Amino acid sequence: MPAADKFSRLAALKPSKPMPARPAAIRTPGEEDTLGRLLGAGVASNHFGEHLAIRNWFSTPEFAEPSPTTLELLSRTRDESLSHKTRAALEDPEKWLFLDTETTGLAGGTGTYAFLIGLAWWDAGGLQVEQFFMRDFAEEHSLLQELSRRVAERPVLVTFNGKSFDWPLLENRFTMTRSIAVPKLAAHLDLLHPARALWKLRLGSVRLVELERHILDAPRLGWHRENDVSSALIPQFYFDYLRGGPAEPLAGVVRHNQMDLRGLAALFGKINEMLSESSGAANGVESLDLFGLSRFLQRRGEDDRAHSTCSLALAIGLPAEFRPKAHRELAQMAKRRGEHAHAAQMFLEIVADPHDGIHACEQLAIYYERHAKDPVKAVQFSELAIATLRRQRATSRDPFTAARSARLEQKFLQRLARLEKKTQPSSPARPQRARAAAAPKASSALW
Amino acid sequence: MPESLAVRRSTIPSSLTRVHEVLDAFAARDYDGELLTAVRHFPAREARWADFPAWVHPDLAAAYAAKGIRRLYTHQAEAAETVHAGKSVVIVTPTASGKTLCYNLPVLNATLENSDSRALYLFPTKALAQDQLAELHDLNQRLDNRFGVFTYDGDTPADARRSIREKGHIILTNPDMLHTGILPHHTRWTRLFENLRYIVLDELHTYRGVFGSHLCNVLRRLRRIARFYGRDPQFICCSATIANPGDLASRLLESDVEVLNSNGAPAAEKTFVFYNPPVVNRALGIRRSYINESSRVAQEFLKRDLQTMVFSNSRLQTEILLTYLQQANPQLPGKPETIRGYRGGYLPNERREIERGLRDGKIRGVVSTSALELGIDVGSLDTVVMAGYPGTIAATWQRAGRAGRRSGSSCAVLVASSSPLDQFIVRHPDYFFGNTPERAFIQPDNLEILINHLKCAAFELPISPNDKFGDTNLPDLCARLAEAGYLHLAGDNYHWTQEAYPADTISLRSVTSDNFVIVDITGAPTVIGEVDFPSALVFLHEKAIYIHGGQQHHVEHLDFKERRAYVKRVDVDYYTDAVRYTQVRPLEIAATKHCAGDQRVEHSYSHGDVLVRSQVVGFKKIKFFTNENIGDGKLELPENEMHTTSYWITLERPLLESLPFTVSERQSGMFGLLHALESFATLLLMCDSRDLGTAIGERPPPPDSNSSAIGAQHAAPHLGTIENFTPTRMQDAISSSPREFFEPNLYLFDAYPGGIGFSEPLFRTHALLVQKTRELIAACPCEQGCPSCVGPAGDLAPRAKEAALAILDRLCA
Repeated sequence: MPAADKFSRLAALKPSKPMPARPAAIRTPGEEDTLGRLLGAGVASNHFGEHLAIRNWFSTPEFAEPSPTTLELLSRTRDESLSHKTRAALEDPEKWLFLDTETTGLAGGTGTYAFLIGLAWWDAGGLQVEQFFMRDFAEEHSLLQELSRRVAERPVLVTFNGKSFDWPLLENRFTMTRSIAVPKLAAHLDLLHPARALWKLRLGSVRLVELERHILDAPRLGWHRENDVSSALIPQFYFDYLRGGPAEPLAGVVRHNQMDLRGLAALFGKINEMLSESSGAANGVESLDLFGLSRFLQRRGEDDRAHSTCSLALAIGLPAEFRPKAHRELAQMAKRRGEHAHAAQMFLEIVADPHDGIHACEQLAIYYERHAKDPVKAVQFSELAIATLRRQRATSRDPFTAARSARLEQKFLQRLARLEKKTQPSSPARPQRARAAAAPKASSALW
Repeated sequence: MPESLAVRRSTIPSSLTRVHEVLDAFAARDYDGELLTAVRHFPAREARWADFPAWVHPDLAAAYAAKGIRRLYTHQAEAAETVHAGKSVVIVTPTASGKTLCYNLPVLNATLENSDSRALYLFPTKALAQDQLAELHDLNQRLDNRFGVFTYDGDTPADARRSIREKGHIILTNPDMLHTGILPHHTRWTRLFENLRYIVLDELHTYRGVFGSHLCNVLRRLRRIARFYGRDPQFICCSATIANPGDLASRLLESDVEVLNSNGAPAAEKTFVFYNPPVVNRALGIRRSYINESSRVAQEFLKRDLQTMVFSNSRLQTEILLTYLQQANPQLPGKPETIRGYRGGYLPNERREIERGLRDGKIRGVVSTSALELGIDVGSLDTVVMAGYPGTIAATWQRAGRAGRRSGSSCAVLVASSSPLDQFIVRHPDYFFGNTPERAFIQPDNLEILINHLKCAAFELPISPNDKFGDTNLPDLCARLAEAGYLHLAGDNYHWTQEAYPADTISLRSVTSDNFVIVDITGAPTVIGEVDFPSALVFLHEKAIYIHGGQQHHVEHLDFKERRAYVKRVDVDYYTDAVRYTQVRPLEIAATKHCAGDQRVEHSYSHGDVLVRSQVVGFKKIKFFTNENIGDGKLELPENEMHTTSYWITLERPLLESLPFTVSERQSGMFGLLHALESFATLLLMCDSRDLGTAIGERPPPPDSNSSAIGAQHAAPHLGTIENFTPTRMQDAISSSPREFFEPNLYLFDAYPGGIGFSEPLFRTHALLVQKTRELIAACPCEQGCPSCVGPAGDLAPRAKEAALAILDRLCA
């Protein structure tokens, strides 16, 4: 069969999206200069070859001295204490390197490239940003070599989602070179996790752009993401450029990356502010953010601070939907510390809550039975719980909820049986029977 | 037959009396010698022993000794020595000959000598990997857990993966996981790749056709990545007995492979019986249901407390046989079920429980699909009953090998269905018991497959000018991929330039990724299945009755754009049969051979590239059991076009003129001949009948005329339970060419775009193919054709069988 015909019919060769009708371009040296001018870049070279480098200094965000508490909270891993070396590196802001990459895709794996690597560090009270751009895949080695050098100088990496995306991808890229070793990091602070803990409740989404707008108050800083490119389009801009398409969109990508780096540095400042103990008074901090902070602190084992922050959040005034949660957490923290009376007080606040009420009743029943030695009160809370559960079961159409309610109800009925033995040792049977008639299935387990 | 049985009886030891009682009972029913077409007795064979090679690490020898293995079978020792000498090998052994040791011994030895050494084991299924894992864990424990052995597949929890990548000395996985999970992430596997010494490919014979062609390309990628990390791993392969294990292995590995096929393992005494269900209607060639007969045979064994395994060829049949046998052997109160089913859909835990039950004898009978055919260890059973021919001789021996794996006496019974293949096998026992003629073929350079893997390869590592990828013009292909936006040339190398991850969209097991999803909209919409594009046109056209899991569904709507078929459950007394026209046009003839009769050229045969156009133009409604045509409909479905390769026979005018038949008898004869030809070709090629398409077309007039050939292809509906149904042949196709002299081409084409490598082998084995096809038809006891030879008598003109035989006589001359 004719060769052209043979190939034109292959499904495997069909373009995945329509290809622009553009002649395959071979760029002339002059055009390369245009790209450099467009991006504000100069040609950098090392023994692996060339790439473009873009350097800018920004007065904002301003340098934020990381507080020891912040460092402690951000770098604490589950159960190992930090090595002396790591601590020393962390405490020296000179060793910090903010990093953000623009890639040819989000799929990961060995066929995804970082074509733009953005770095930033504190300098002269502001932020020095340096970006490396590869004009073609052949420049990847020199790009990575440059990154390796910067990381050697500043081995504390600060990223946003870099632990699961940027850094593993770069590790892949280094491994693929077979000649440049993966640079060793002293520490890696990924701000995504604290940002999520602190602001997810309020913002729903913690994309960097959202944080910038709502947390960092970008307009006030005078930052504008004018004509910001959408992240989803970035890989295609690069592919188009590689195939001889316009370079202009890449200038937008470079700007986008700069903004992300500045946002990242500013975000650190904000997190630092929130986590540092001195700012505990938290003037002007949103109550929901405080609540988020208290949860974050709780997870890091800072119970005392978590408790006071949570109380503060409640005092300032949380939106109605979060109040029971805050009370519940306060109660749990109190309980862990052995302050049962205080915990009971907190649970008392939420006995009527549709979500946490049952749990509160249970905790109160336990409290009155074991700690306050007041079985009558314990009976009351158990009965309240049973009534609530029966109401839920009657109105719910979801079989799973109904089954769950039934299970819980049985638990309370068992508790009740035990309690009633305590309160009325002489005439045990009558009231129980009455109850048994009301819920024969559940009570059969009692006899 | 009975008297020969009696002769053997004297030599059969007493432990076989119970088996023998059953055979006697069959023989008693076998009035005319048609029931038991073969009873072959295989005497026990002594083991041939060899010592452990001197280089084996003493700890490893001790570990094996602790398991009771102090000596090796000769083939194990030979394999170990060949691997030790640094050669890639393929070991050809029957079931239960200790092939696992052939690869575990050298691999573990290398690991003990150098704890950095790594090995990758590939199994065609996850279940097999699990089974081998258990064996390796056992050895590892005896070696103080000195090495890491892990399975790595879709079931591996995400949090375990990192440590497996670091600590696994031996990784057990499957080709699909290698393709999507390991190769595209090779930078995470540097420990493995930098130290990769051995790759083990078990059940090599399963890598044939489309799957094998894909695997060959996956191995190209694997070797390429290994080279990147400076390794050139050695391959250790195991295969069941096929005719060309060496060819297949060297084709898959694209390097020289040593073939080891002497077996030193002992074998238990075994009787192999072919059982052909009795004919109930001789004129129509209808036999008793082989499912019922199989359950009857199995019950005879179970009744005598012989542990029995029944194999069926589909899930549905498994369930039916299970129902029959459980009814016959009711569960005793308070006792566990003694008859169990075993198939793909069962949960892993349940399967492990059944495997244990079989080993310790608590389960007396099991009904299984091919799931238990491969090397899962269930210990030895007394008897095996196969309901229907498994499709290949290799698979039949593997299934039979389940009986008497280690010692004792055993029996395997093959119960034939009425399909041509089954009938051929049971009527030609020598074909089966002689040297296997089955060959496994692959076509890794099929461009559709190769280009897809080339994309994956580029994703894994830029394509450099030094790269080789099959027998192709790599720079040209890369340039084309660049043009289509997949790759980009930078410096000397082509890089991947798509956001998508190519391996995700390429399945190693199916023909194309362009599938239709079947949505049941009787109640809340549920997806009940998926079929490929060409099948969708045939089985899922509007108003079709689609049978899924024994349930009939009426196709309400076929949505081409969304690739969905909406069906509703119904209960009707008919099925539908699509009428499909297939045209084949030769594009480029690779080779032709002319065969002359008396001076004149009578026929020729060829192979080459063809264009196949097919279209479903209508359907018929056919009543169950009576096979009456109770209505039909026209359909307007898009034409399906495919470039592929084909083998064909051309019947020339002199041959046809000299036959004493009418035009319509001749034409019926040709259709019948093609029917039988296809059956036999699937046997030779170890393929499924779906892998080959057939068509009859007029021979295109000499060069470059555009006239095309008309043919008709018949689509059988999915009918698991209905046996002996009579598909109506399409006379339409023939009558549409009402020429006096129809000089036809009989096409057997690869039902896969680009061809999958069947045509050239068929061309080479033409003589064998026509000769065996002739035997198949000649030996059939039916009068005027039946589904077992030329197709159902009612569909063809009378004397079709005669005409087919007459043509074959001339082809064989």
